[in-house]
Amino acid sequence: MSDNITRRGVLKSLAGIVGGILAMPAARTCKAAVQNVFAIAPAPKGYDPFKHKWLMALDVDRCIGCGLCVEACCEENGVPEGHFRTWIERYVITQPKAGSGEMRGETIVDSPDGGKEGFPESLIPKEDILKSFFVPKMCNLCENSPCTQVCPVGATFDAPDGAVLIDKNYCIGCGFCVQACPYGCRFFNPITHTADKCTLCYHRITRGLKPACVEICPSQARIFGDLKNPVPDDPLQRFRSTNKVETLKQYLGTGPRVLYAGLDEEVR
Amino acid sequence: MPPQIIRLVLLTIGIVCVYFTARYFLVPPSFGQYGHYRANALQDIASRQPFWAGKASCVECHPDHARKLAAAEHKTLSCETCHGPGRAHVVNPVEKLPKLNMSLCVRCHQASPSRPKWLHQINVHNHYTGSVCTECHVPHQPNEVP
Repeated sequence: MSDNITRRGVLKSLAGIVGGILAMPAARTCKAAVQNVFAIAPAPKGYDPFKHKWLMALDVDRCIGCGLCVEACCEENGVPEGHFRTWIERYVITQPKAGSGEMRGETIVDSPDGGKEGFPESLIPKEDILKSFFVPKMCNLCENSPCTQVCPVGATFDAPDGAVLIDKNYCIGCGFCVQACPYGCRFFNPITHTADKCTLCYHRITRGLKPACVEICPSQARIFGDLKNPVPDDPLQRFRSTNKVETLKQYLGTGPRVLYAGLDEEVR
Repeated sequence: MPPQIIRLVLLTIGIVCVYFTARYFLVPPSFGQYGHYRANALQDIASRQPFWAGKASCVECHPDHARKLAAAEHKTLSCETCHGPGRAHVVNPVEKLPKLNMSLCVRCHQASPSRPKWLHQINVHNHYTGSVCTECHVPHQPNEVP
């Protein structure tokens, strides 16, 4: 055994240990430099995501199609031209052809510029319309969000408070999530080169404000609330108890949480 | 042990070491705290400044208007729905909000077969030939006559 301990061997291992100790601070600085990319910006203090559960409810019968919510959202979030985090669709269902034996005619859906500037008069003459209404659309805050499941890097996630968010510093812009969302609620932001979507105005709700669309909606077609902290005469609870509510595309098993009242069979 | 096995074991250890070193350097702080994402991203996203001031900040200085509005048909409206973004005015009251015009009234009240029946709707062309709705209507109290 004593043959193995040579001066050279001992010096070598000593040098190794010293080198290791010297390299530690360098490694630490290195790691800090890498992680500085993800520096934390000052955020509202005292917000605990585990103490809230946000939910949005949309009342189709209250929506007047003014498009102010879309405009408000675009201004609040700097949404690039031609893309939308929330939008309004106009459904026009025509009269059935005489003698066709159908209950209704065609269903025509349009959303000029997301409804941002309001809706021009429909091209279908009034007497041909069986029924027409507006449907506001946005992120459905799914329980089992397909968009989160497909993200290869963990850049999009279901926050503990119910919002589905995107970490823009971490997103690689592969666009999988844009394709995965069955509601078409995501888009590729040409400015940041990342995926983009409704954040429920996360910077507002964490400060105790309502999301921009809810704040601006003149007819209370959008109802927003916190399931964990109901206020007296909670609008969300009232909405739930006074309406027959539905969610969009339940058959997909995505567990959409955004509630709709007054949905027609034709709404997709 | 045969040398080829030793080489293979060393290679495997080397690869595992490289993996853990890369992981040590590249995984951002707070990743995995709440789930498979960066917990600090929540704060990042929340750190932006709001654009719309919100009705509560208007009511602070204009409680009289708010009281009148709350008693009339337009009670569901937020101030900024019609008056536009008010953050600059909240920060510095000298900054005046822009004057409003008729297009705002028409945006909601123009008759359309798609609009719900409960909404008061008018056909602008037959309703009135002027351009100032406020000649006959008070926006804060739509039921009253000026």
